[in-house]
Amino acid sequence: MEDDREKIFGSIRRGLRQAEQTDAARENRSPLKEPLSADFQIRFEKFNSELVKLGGEAYVLDDFKGISDFLLRHITDDAGVFIYDEVSGIYDSALSELRSSRTYKLSTDFENDYDKRDVAQFGSAILPCAACIAETGTIVLRNSMRLPAALATRLFVITEPVRLMASLDGLFTDSFRDAGGSNLFLVTGPSRTADIEKELVTGVHGPKEVYVIFHKE
Amino acid sequence: MEIEAKHFKELYKKQIVKDRLRSNLSKATLQAVDSREESFKEVDFQFLRAQAKMIREESVSHLNELLSEFEDQARKNGCNIFYAQTPEKARAYVLDVAVRNNVKLIVKSKSMVTEEIELVPFLSEKGIETVETDLGEYIVQLAKEKPSHITTPAIHKSRTEIAELFHEKIGTEMNDDPKFLTAEARRVLREKFLAADMGISGANFLIAETGDAVIVENEGNARLSTSSTNVHVVVTGIEKVIPKFSDLRIFMRVLGRSSTGQKLTSYVSVLRGPRTEEEKDGPREVHIVLLDNGRSSLLGTDHQEVLNCIRCGACLNVCPVYRNIGGHAYGSVYPGPIGSLVTPMYFGEKNAPDLPFASSLCGNCSEVCPVGIEIHHQLLSLRHEIVAARKSRIERFLFKNYRKTMLRPGRYQMIGRFARALSKFSVVRRIMKPWTDYRDIPEFPSQSFREIYKSGKLN
Repeated sequence: MEDDREKIFGSIRRGLRQAEQTDAARENRSPLKEPLSADFQIRFEKFNSELVKLGGEAYVLDDFKGISDFLLRHITDDAGVFIYDEVSGIYDSALSELRSSRTYKLSTDFENDYDKRDVAQFGSAILPCAACIAETGTIVLRNSMRLPAALATRLFVITEPVRLMASLDGLFTDSFRDAGGSNLFLVTGPSRTADIEKELVTGVHGPKEVYVIFHKE
Repeated sequence: MEIEAKHFKELYKKQIVKDRLRSNLSKATLQAVDSREESFKEVDFQFLRAQAKMIREESVSHLNELLSEFEDQARKNGCNIFYAQTPEKARAYVLDVAVRNNVKLIVKSKSMVTEEIELVPFLSEKGIETVETDLGEYIVQLAKEKPSHITTPAIHKSRTEIAELFHEKIGTEMNDDPKFLTAEARRVLREKFLAADMGISGANFLIAETGDAVIVENEGNARLSTSSTNVHVVVTGIEKVIPKFSDLRIFMRVLGRSSTGQKLTSYVSVLRGPRTEEEKDGPREVHIVLLDNGRSSLLGTDHQEVLNCIRCGACLNVCPVYRNIGGHAYGSVYPGPIGSLVTPMYFGEKNAPDLPFASSLCGNCSEVCPVGIEIHHQLLSLRHEIVAARKSRIERFLFKNYRKTMLRPGRYQMIGRFARALSKFSVVRRIMKPWTDYRDIPEFPSQSFREIYKSGKLN
């Protein structure tokens, strides 16, 4: 089907008027009134306070044993666990007890595409993340995690302290832009709606619970 | 394309008498206003607004270059781009994509542009089931109504009405707890996501330098609509393009705050195209439909700045008119102050001649606009244009004589005496009934100020 490209561009060119020069220009300064320090503990406290306000939780755990205990405590059902291969590779020993006591599937167990009905059955998904943002309590996911991140009831993210950025200013930069991949996905707390009389309800379509673990070791 | 906005005067009269609607709207909009104020405390709103305004102005005034750049990048990313000048053309393209892919069920996330082109009824008419997946949109789709707010489509409905609707349409038990109703919607819609063959979404921003489509949302339905099927179609307006990826640091901070009082919405998807070979999910085909529908004709006019709008809906929440008549009174997919501008501009002034008058011109809308659109000035300017185009002989006669009267004191006094005498007759009050129905008319004094002053009775 032939489109209207030329007609639309013709119309734009005919009408176009350059905006009057304004006093404003792109400024790189942060709009935050109180920028966060680089100290991990301060950033973590901010990240956690934002996430808790939204119904999520964040933890700093020192060792694999701590992570293992945490996951076993929070994944009590047998709805199944989706584990992304990158997490499985790094945190193998932290996941071994979970794997022996719960039904699970690794992302590499899917030979080709994820079967969406299969993924929808999982109660929990354990994923890595590209970054976390303290300013807003946000997790940044990249590639290959579209369905697990959106379909699981509980979302667990395991990451390192170095990935905790102070603000959105660090995320929307050229280095993130150029890192490639087909998509970036920012998750800020559990899925939510206030469509019925403005009453906040979590877990509309996406995860009802969100946990972030910073592994300090 | 004829729209209901033509009958605004009849529509608002029906809505303004609905006490329950007004109370729902008041509660919801005032809560949104408070949340917005609270959320901006941590950031410098004026700085963000100046930056956002500057970037949107730059975007619109270089629209041809930025659209070309976006198109090139998006094609490189593997997307198909289609330009549609009219709603008909956009609808036909989406149908063509659906037919070529043998699509039977479409899941759709919230998008004002798809409402603008009436895409869902069109696809349903062609035998393709198209399900709205945003909870508010799902509610209005079940009720066979139209959205009444840009970001909260079912704002006009109470929990009881929604419970009754769910009970009747999807067989849920009668329970008006929002948690229960939301869980029921999740159950029904999850099955639709799993069965769907195609997803449709809008886009909040298109990034020229990367070819990305950016979608912000809270529920996760847009994420699922864009990643659970093999085909994803983005339908959006040509004006949504912004120059740089880094510009998102400004817009992400103002959009959620202005719209729902959130520092950032629950989900932001930055989509760069179909899945890569290494990926195991996501669409294999991505189509981006860029709609004009009157937008380019605003370029170079005094109304160009209206294209800067990022559809946050903040102007609706602060508008005293919207708060009293609701979104359906506007007879357009775009209600409220921004809708009163956009509707006549996109659909023609003949289709919405009264909307620019649906404002008290209090300026609240301009005050909260995160991209600094002078909405109330724009409304006033549109009023001037409409009045000038009407060329009413009576109006011209009246204003010509009003001018003469105000310039000549003798004539002014004579008409004053005449009006005071005339006001004693009940027929005059009857003639003024449309005005006095909603306002008190003061008693005319028996003497003018000048006469009282001359008589020395002032003290």
